Amino acid sequence: MLTQKQLYLTKVFIQIFLRNKQYIIFSLILPMVILGIVAFNEGDEDPIDIGIVDKSNTILSQQFISRLSENNLFNIIIKNENSLKDDLISGKLKAGLVIPNGMTAKSRAADIKLLVDRSDIQFIQTIQPILNNSLLEIERELTKAEPLFILSLEDIKSRSLSYINFLLPGIMAFMLMNLSIAGSGFNVVEFRRRGILKRLFVTPIKPIDFVTSIVLARMAIVIAQLTIIFSFALFVLDVEVVGSLLTFYFMIMTGILMFLTLGFSIGSLAKSQESVGVLASIFIYPQLALSGVFFPVESLPEFIHPIAALLPLSILVESMRLVANEGLTFFELYSNFIGMVLWIMIGTFISTKLFIWKEVAG
Amino acid sequence: MAIIKANNLIKTYADPDSNGKKFNAVDGVSLSIHTGEIFGILGPNGAGKTTTLEMLEGLKDIDAGSASINSIDISKNPYKVKEFIGVQLQANEYFDNMTLSELLNLFSALYNKKNDSLSLLKKVNLTDKANSYANELSGGQKQRFSIACALVNDPLVLFLDEPTTGLDPQAKRSLWDLIMNLNNLGMTIILTTHNMEEAQNLCDRIAIMDYGKIIAEDTPRELISKHAPERQKEVVSGNMEDVFMALTGHGLRD
Repeated sequence: MLTQKQLYLTKVFIQIFLRNKQYIIFSLILPMVILGIVAFNEGDEDPIDIGIVDKSNTILSQQFISRLSENNLFNIIIKNENSLKDDLISGKLKAGLVIPNGMTAKSRAADIKLLVDRSDIQFIQTIQPILNNSLLEIERELTKAEPLFILSLEDIKSRSLSYINFLLPGIMAFMLMNLSIAGSGFNVVEFRRRGILKRLFVTPIKPIDFVTSIVLARMAIVIAQLTIIFSFALFVLDVEVVGSLLTFYFMIMTGILMFLTLGFSIGSLAKSQESVGVLASIFIYPQLALSGVFFPVESLPEFIHPIAALLPLSILVESMRLVANEGLTFFELYSNFIGMVLWIMIGTFISTKLFIWKEVAG
Repeated sequence: MAIIKANNLIKTYADPDSNGKKFNAVDGVSLSIHTGEIFGILGPNGAGKTTTLEMLEGLKDIDAGSASINSIDISKNPYKVKEFIGVQLQANEYFDNMTLSELLNLFSALYNKKNDSLSLLKKVNLTDKANSYANELSGGQKQRFSIACALVNDPLVLFLDEPTTGLDPQAKRSLWDLIMNLNNLGMTIILTTHNMEEAQNLCDRIAIMDYGKIIAEDTPRELISKHAPERQKEVVSGNMEDVFMALTGHGLRD
């Protein structure tokens, strides 16, 4: 049962937060902008500029160029060899094709050169199959050969998921982590450094009153902020959510509790405001990279998968994504819930062992 | 009757200068402070004054010895003791974005009490600052506000840790008046100070600490007669502070 002291202190923490309007605005704007950009970009993608030098200038080479021009992915720019190289070196163009002399139907296989920056692996992986496919289609047309195999996609779940559906739970979970860590770890260290904790503890409040109030206040603040982002995605960006909102919010609340306890641990380990920043960075950034916030964990090297799966943010992101996009119920996600409860226990253990409340005066 | 009793208090810390060794920041301090008295603890920096106070306030664990306030054991019932003591700390930092009235309401709520914040602010001459934020106050105003915070529970005992450090003479004298008024109302006051004049003017009794021990304890008059009986040859009627006060007046400037 909550005491009057705890409720009053909770009210004060919320009041202090609400008066920091700049912080509120900035913490909301960034996720909204990212989601907005992704949502409005999900239509036709901008075509890739490709410079082509046609040394051959034959019917076949013209046919090849016109076939590429028909592809919406490419914007073909005819160049001479020198200006193509200049544009590639200066970065005006990302790719160039050089069609060699004598490209005809009767000649041997023409060695078409793709000029790219070899370090841009992702770009090469995207463009190379498309170019190969275009060449294959032209070849088939000329040789009148029918394709032996056709691969077609069919969505077994009969719904259209796009990147925004993938991104929304990730962004929300990441925001939740940041707000919770800032609300517990950073606050404790700052209050201790300024002597505010000491001032509070000369009154008859107990550490449990203080922790309960911070947890309640942060829970309310983070839920309110996430609800604003969620509503923006649902009603402005028209993102579809298939799962139960109750389960979705239950996972969010468990996640907040998990990151608050882990934040208290960071605050207990850190001796100063500088070290809490460093510790929080060590905690936050690897998770940002490994927890599938922006890209699927599957795109990471295989050996990282087991490590990534254990990270608190991974567990939360996956839970929120599976509820929002796949409609999984709490019972289907019980292992994720247990994972979060284990992290809550670890966070509680570290913070209660390391933070000596009696010595806040020191 | 003694309202505060301390018997052989010890507080031990790791010695920062030598690996693994420990030292006693407070080393066998015994005190008996009477109801209604102003008791001063003097001593150089690091003598153990603040640590002694913080053990009595229940902020620091008592490693050895015992202490009680109003017959309640501090180690066994620190939260009970905190209900009837008021504490003014050396550091006067408060939550940002909260007015003085709101802060007083908060501290009152932490004692499960309701107070008229304006009447508390009136006691410390800060009624006009009721809607200001604490970080907008001057040093003297912050110290006075800090005492207002310590009064929200109408305490039997008021602890003041170097209350006038860093204050100009006007603010210092105003704070002395406030302390005397509170004492006249029956409040027992324990203060630490580096200011000898303050100790001499305010305190009924003084304990002088050094290296964690009490090296002398008595009334100011007795301490002077025991330890500095020789009068200075050149006797003047006041000191430079009196001159400054005479010339600049007693009115508060902040």
